[in-house]
Amino acid sequence: MSADIILDYAVTLALATLCLAFFVTIYRIIKGPTLPDRILGLDMLVAIAIGFIAVIGIKTGFTLYVDVAIALGLVGFLATVAFARFVLSRGKTEDDLLSEAREAAAAARREAKAASRAENRERQHSTRSGQ
Amino acid sequence: MNEIVTLISAALLVIGSLFALVASVGLVRLPDLYTRMHAASKAGTMGACLMLIALAIHAADFGTMSRALAGVVFFLLTAPVSSHLLAKASYAVGYRLHSSSVMDDMAPKDQAK
Amino acid sequence: MSLLLVNVLLALVWTAVSGSFSFLNFAFGFVLAIFALSLIREQVGSVGYFSRARRVLSLFLLFIYELVLSAWRVATTVLSPRMDIKPGIIAYPLKVDRDFEITILANLITLTPGTLSIDVSDDRRILYVHAMDASDPEATKRDIAEGFERKIMEAFR
Repeated sequence: MSADIILDYAVTLALATLCLAFFVTIYRIIKGPTLPDRILGLDMLVAIAIGFIAVIGIKTGFTLYVDVAIALGLVGFLATVAFARFVLSRGKTEDDLLSEAREAAAAARREAKAASRAENRERQHSTRSGQ
Repeated sequence: MNEIVTLISAALLVIGSLFALVASVGLVRLPDLYTRMHAASKAGTMGACLMLIALAIHAADFGTMSRALAGVVFFLLTAPVSSHLLAKASYAVGYRLHSSSVMDDMAPKDQAK
Repeated sequence: MSLLLVNVLLALVWTAVSGSFSFLNFAFGFVLAIFALSLIREQVGSVGYFSRARRVLSLFLLFIYELVLSAWRVATTVLSPRMDIKPGIIAYPLKVDRDFEITILANLITLTPGTLSIDVSDDRRILYVHAMDASDPEATKRDIAEGFERKIMEAFR
């Protein structure tokens, strides 16, 4: 009997973790700077959905859910392949170039800030040691 | 015997869902598309497969078990193919590596084009 | 290949004779059939079948081990508070040359620690691999060559 109770807890825990994973992935899909990032996020969502189906299949005892999981895996695979073809044929858009430039600028700014901070520290250090 | 099987499938469920969570955290934290692909194609596949295996050993009959295992094999076969295709397409189109990358053996071929 | 068929047929005969078609009984019948075939391996020429089956099995076990290891490696990388990774693309010179073997190698590389296959050159000699840690490309190349590529050549040649 106690094993069943442990399984119940495990199912609840797994559902909660999967929910969290789902939302974290959706954050990447919404924010994802480029199209391939979003496609990758959708691919990940399919994996998480298959996990959901497996957990629900255990919880309810319906074995029909296995077929749903297999079909979902197939559809997800085909969708990713089709999206990859689409990325290849579409090429880069101006949007991508814009966001890439923005990211590069942000990285450069971060680098410059780190460098100036290091320089400051160096200067302080040298003045202190000079005194 | 029955209790042990139930406990194993409970453990597989929790571990699989944790791997799925790790994969999605990696999707957010890693710096560029190609490193994110590492997280999605390894930890994500691992998570989904572990949970399908949990379903397979929880359902005791032959039909469900064989279908779930077929699903696992299918997922293991297709996940690398799709991530490979996506990486190839986005590299060919010109999405670059993150600035922390140390080497790029594919680049000279691209410049020659 | 036909010996594998004989093996499965013998297992089916076992389930039919013992009268219960469950997964465990089928697996038991399969093991029994392997035992029976190994008894008459000199007569039906199944020595090669057994050594090849052993090599395919060892490739499979290596694959499972590497998959678990790689998922664990990704997890530790992602969850460490300061990520200092040095990703990069490595050109790996292929020794296997058949399409089938290249496909298997590329799939296995994608699912193993720290590497992801991106592209194959047009003349099928170079596999471009994206590595999570490309600070030592020679070591990565050596790992692939001595791990999977050797096993694949052993199992399918």
